[in-house]
Amino acid sequence: MSDHAPARSPQDLDDSIAGGIGESPTRPDGALKVRGEYAYASDLWAEDMLWGATLRSPHPYARIRSIDIGPALATPGVYAVLTHSDVPGENLYGLKIVDQPVLAVDVVRYRGEAVALVAADHPETARRAMERIEVDYEVLEPITDPELAAHDTTLPELHPGGNVVRHQPIVKGDPEASADVVVSGLYTLGMQDQAFLGPEAGLAVPAPDGGVDLYLATQDLHSDRKQTAQALGLPPEKVRMTMSGVGGAFGGREDLSIQVHCSMLALHTGKPVKMVYDREESFHGHVHRHPAKMYYEHGATRDGDLVYVRATLYFDGGAYASKTPVVVGNGTTLGIGPYAVPNVRIEGWGLYTNNPPCGAMRGLGAVQPALAYEAQMDKLADALGMDPVEVRIRNALSQGGTTPTGQVLDYPAPVAELLDRVRRLPLPAEHDSAPADIRDLPGGASNTTHGEGVVRGIGYGVCIKNICYAEGADDYSTARVRLQIIGGEPLAVVHTAAAEVGQGLVTVQQQIARTELGVERVNIHPNDTDVGPAGSSSASRQTYVTGGAVRNACEAVRDVLLQRVAARSGESIGDLSLSGGKVVSSATGVLADLADVIGDDVIEETREYHHRETYPLDEELGTSERAQVQHAFSAHRAVVDVDTELGLVKVVQLDCSQDVGKAMNPEAVIGQIQGGSAQGLGLAVMEEIRVDGGTIRNASFTDYLIPTILDMPPMNIDVIERADPNSPYGVRGVGEPPTISSTPAVVAAIRAATGKALTHTPVAPEHIIADIPR
Amino acid sequence: MIPFDYQRADRADGAVAAVGVRPAAAFLGGGTNLVDHLKLGVAEPELLVDVTRLPFDGIDTLPDGGVRVGATVRNSDLAAEAIVRQRYPVLSQALLSGASGQLRNLATTGGNLLQRTRCPYFQDVTTPCNKREPGQGCSARGGYTRYHAILGASEHCVATHPSDMAVALTALDATVHVTGPNGQRDIPVTELHRLPGDEPHRDTVLEHGDLITAVDLPELPMAARSRYRKVRDRASYAFALVSVAAALDVEDGTVREARIALGGVAHKPWRANTAEQALRGAPATEQSFREAAEAELAEAQPVRDNAFKVPMARNTLVATLRDLAGEEAR
Ligand SMILES: Cc1cc2nc3c(=O)[nH]c(=O)nc-3n(C[C@H](O)[C@H](O)[C@H](O)COP(=O)(O)OP(=O)(O)OC[C@H]3O[C@@H](n4cnc5c(N)ncnc54)[C@H](O)[C@@H]3O)c2cc1C
Ligand code: SF4
Repeated sequence: MSDHAPARSPQDLDDSIAGGIGESPTRPDGALKVRGEYAYASDLWAEDMLWGATLRSPHPYARIRSIDIGPALATPGVYAVLTHSDVPGENLYGLKIVDQPVLAVDVVRYRGEAVALVAADHPETARRAMERIEVDYEVLEPITDPELAAHDTTLPELHPGGNVVRHQPIVKGDPEASADVVVSGLYTLGMQDQAFLGPEAGLAVPAPDGGVDLYLATQDLHSDRKQTAQALGLPPEKVRMTMSGVGGAFGGREDLSIQVHCSMLALHTGKPVKMVYDREESFHGHVHRHPAKMYYEHGATRDGDLVYVRATLYFDGGAYASKTPVVVGNGTTLGIGPYAVPNVRIEGWGLYTNNPPCGAMRGLGAVQPALAYEAQMDKLADALGMDPVEVRIRNALSQGGTTPTGQVLDYPAPVAELLDRVRRLPLPAEHDSAPADIRDLPGGASNTTHGEGVVRGIGYGVCIKNICYAEGADDYSTARVRLQIIGGEPLAVVHTAAAEVGQGLVTVQQQIARTELGVERVNIHPNDTDVGPAGSSSASRQTYVTGGAVRNACEAVRDVLLQRVAARSGESIGDLSLSGGKVVSSATGVLADLADVIGDDVIEETREYHHRETYPLDEELGTSERAQVQHAFSAHRAVVDVDTELGLVKVVQLDCSQDVGKAMNPEAVIGQIQGGSAQGLGLAVMEEIRVDGGTIRNASFTDYLIPTILDMPPMNIDVIERADPNSPYGVRGVGEPPTISSTPAVVAAIRAATGKALTHTPVAPEHIIADIPR
Repeated sequence: MIPFDYQRADRADGAVAAVGVRPAAAFLGGGTNLVDHLKLGVAEPELLVDVTRLPFDGIDTLPDGGVRVGATVRNSDLAAEAIVRQRYPVLSQALLSGASGQLRNLATTGGNLLQRTRCPYFQDVTTPCNKREPGQGCSARGGYTRYHAILGASEHCVATHPSDMAVALTALDATVHVTGPNGQRDIPVTELHRLPGDEPHRDTVLEHGDLITAVDLPELPMAARSRYRKVRDRASYAFALVSVAAALDVEDGTVREARIALGGVAHKPWRANTAEQALRGAPATEQSFREAAEAELAEAQPVRDNAFKVPMARNTLVATLRDLAGEEAR
């Protein structure tokens, strides 16, 4: 025991602690964010810093004949103008396929591609200098149709090896099976933006060792570091990264943006350099959700049992691969939805075009097919004269069932239960029973509709999403947990590289440490690359994987402590536990206070958590014993009112049932479901990046519309917990499913109200009124 | 953004003189449109003369019963004014359906009238645009034209005027007071904005250095029952796909007088003279409203992406008139 322990009052009154697993403690970052005091990456500042800026291509496809930086460099206040020849290391990066230049060499493949960099004493100086960089372009005809890119061999090859990023077939049973009842359709989805509010930003500080310290907002520090070090020609340990406040991510921060550029400028000038994109640049500076074109055919018996599903999916990856391979993997493996189907043939294509690059976004690769397979299930119900929910329940996948890749689900898959629960949630009142508030009608406060010609519709959507990385990736996270006595009280510090992107990961890590160590005070160390990788805050995986790592590290710390006490007290270690800052024996009660056991020591342990192994898909048939480690399911019911004269939709209510395995933080779970549903609603009725001729035509939040509070209806949310025996605490990823099943539910409800086919999402007024006879 | 000088004017004549003598000078109202254009490189003024401190911030009743709205009155204040809400509800509604609370707190009457088109090609300096640079060509023709005009466009430009307020003023027959290098003028608001013709770079009939000082709303009892309806892609905070400002005077089931303007359909707020003509003396029925709307839109010429605007404008107009007639009947 330490001699230095301060005098303190008896502490053995209460051995429970608040804020552990299953509770909803206050977020440590919550009050700061609400008060506007939270520092985001765009707030980074250093004395003497320079401002970096990126010159981008105005053309979707062009050859670069020459670049003249002379006049720009001569601009007073300019410290550096860099082009591809200044990239110190490899001038290529990429998450899955290393195909994207840090700075364009002799060709630009999309509008907005980075061509040159400027560092100057003021952002405006940098901008003006950029205008003086003379790039001589030979403009080429862009490839903008992904389906053509897949099949038209006369098109130019945008990358060595052609325009196909990934082609994946999935075959199960008899791919040519036939059935009594057949429905088919062609469905298209527009390009969605992550629409995070905090633009890309970072501050690079050159270090005395020739390396660089980069402060930034990202989803994955180690992935950024690996790619950045490669491009800078530095060993990874000389590229140190620290997380700054992340203003939303949703997949849009998985690829590099400012990382290499900012570091190059800092290393070149020897000064700190800050970069921050404005909104328009942000639209060009991050990837978007893949637009898709999807051909589907479903065959069923007259009783409504699915016999086969055949589908061909085209995903427009844009100019660089980014996460396109994963989108094809998820899109095909999940392409029939959460249904048991004996015969399947799916073909997925991910293509290079000269459209803006597409990559990760919440619901990666699962959002697109959900729109098609759910529309098909409604069509099938219609053809069979059956209730749409009944058809779904009849064909629902369940535990022990087999996916199209041959994987047997060895964990709960309560698809039928979710559908049944969501349809039982209370419905909103009919119009005439309550006087209409104009804001509750289609068009809202615009005073467009006064209730005449308004029809109500109800629609359902259910989805499947794989959680964590798949197809053989070694998916793991690292946590370092330190326990010490500060001010007479035990304090645990959790250190990971896992990005808090708004989902509440910091809170969950605190909760796990509290429960595992029985201490109330848990601090979260700033995320940096001083600790091992955590992987990305994506694929709904952080509570699972980093949660597992924090648990493992806590267990290791606990073992050290208990061993000490066991040795001292002679009790068996199996009888000991930590609770309320004490070591407690199941035999003899409170044995010691942590303050006494630890004294001046620091107990620190670092552990990894790896989830069960997954395996690649067979290239020809898509088979795999375990392509994905876990699946999550949610079901939505949407109620809409549609003004059929004006084509306006009001989503009146949006309800969700979701299985979360274990609600680690029930309030955060609700928040994820609400946020995901809002994002899915946006995709259903308004969110579309308008790309014409390879160029974005609405690169602003004035023109790219996301739902406001007036568009988002009240929700009934029903959370169930069917633990996954393979995951830490039984958790199941929460963040993505509600984004996926909400969209088809809303579209189905609009179909139900209008009787229109609505094959394109988002649904716009013109789809609803266009063919009303003049 | 290019470097520019900034002056704050305290007298109208001084402001006019300052802008008038410098070809690359511009008045600055709330800046909610012009500053965006500075950032985008669409506008490159060397001098900005801030007019928001000029003594044009009043809303006054005129001896003839009309109302004078100063050019620097903020959109929020105009929308909230009791006289406006009671006597010209269409104007209040139009203002409140535009932009957001924060923007309306800054935006001025003069600036709102003179805000420029939201055509994406106009706002993207890397694409040709006749409105930005006469003679360059029109990128919208053959391009993305969901928001573009269906009435009165030319081969040189198919842009729409984005203001909601101006649509209401057009239906109300407001008058715009202008002070310019050559003295003062009054311009009916219906003649302020132009159709593009072969000079799409000229949004209005104003000359360089013309300062809007006020807008007069005429005495118009029928405007007490007037409506603004706006159709847009989300429930708030979005520009109009189409909009309708209308006032209707019905007696014994017969339309005596109608005032109608359409927004989102043309290069200027579109006064629906044909529909008004068709309605005068007609029975106030759904049938007449539909016929009037169809007559107004008979000449509509949609481009690639905006054919939906024709039925949308027709249906919005019919619904607005139906609404007003119903109210009248009560
Ligand atoms: C995100 C966003 C959403 C919007 N949504 C809508 C909408 O839904 N509906 C809508 O109607 N509008 C909308 N607007 C536009 C907004 O209404 C206009 O920006 C605003 O009314 C312009 O007024 P201002 O005083 O800020 O003009 P400024 O930007 O200051 O000026 C605009 C133009 O008018 C000139 N000018 C200003 N005052 C005078 C004067 N007294 N005499 C002569 N010339 C003058 C300026 O030189 C400039 O050319 C939106 C704007 C934004 C940014
Ligand atoms: S429609 Fe008018 S504003 Fe738009 S690109 Fe053509 S000329 Fe320019």
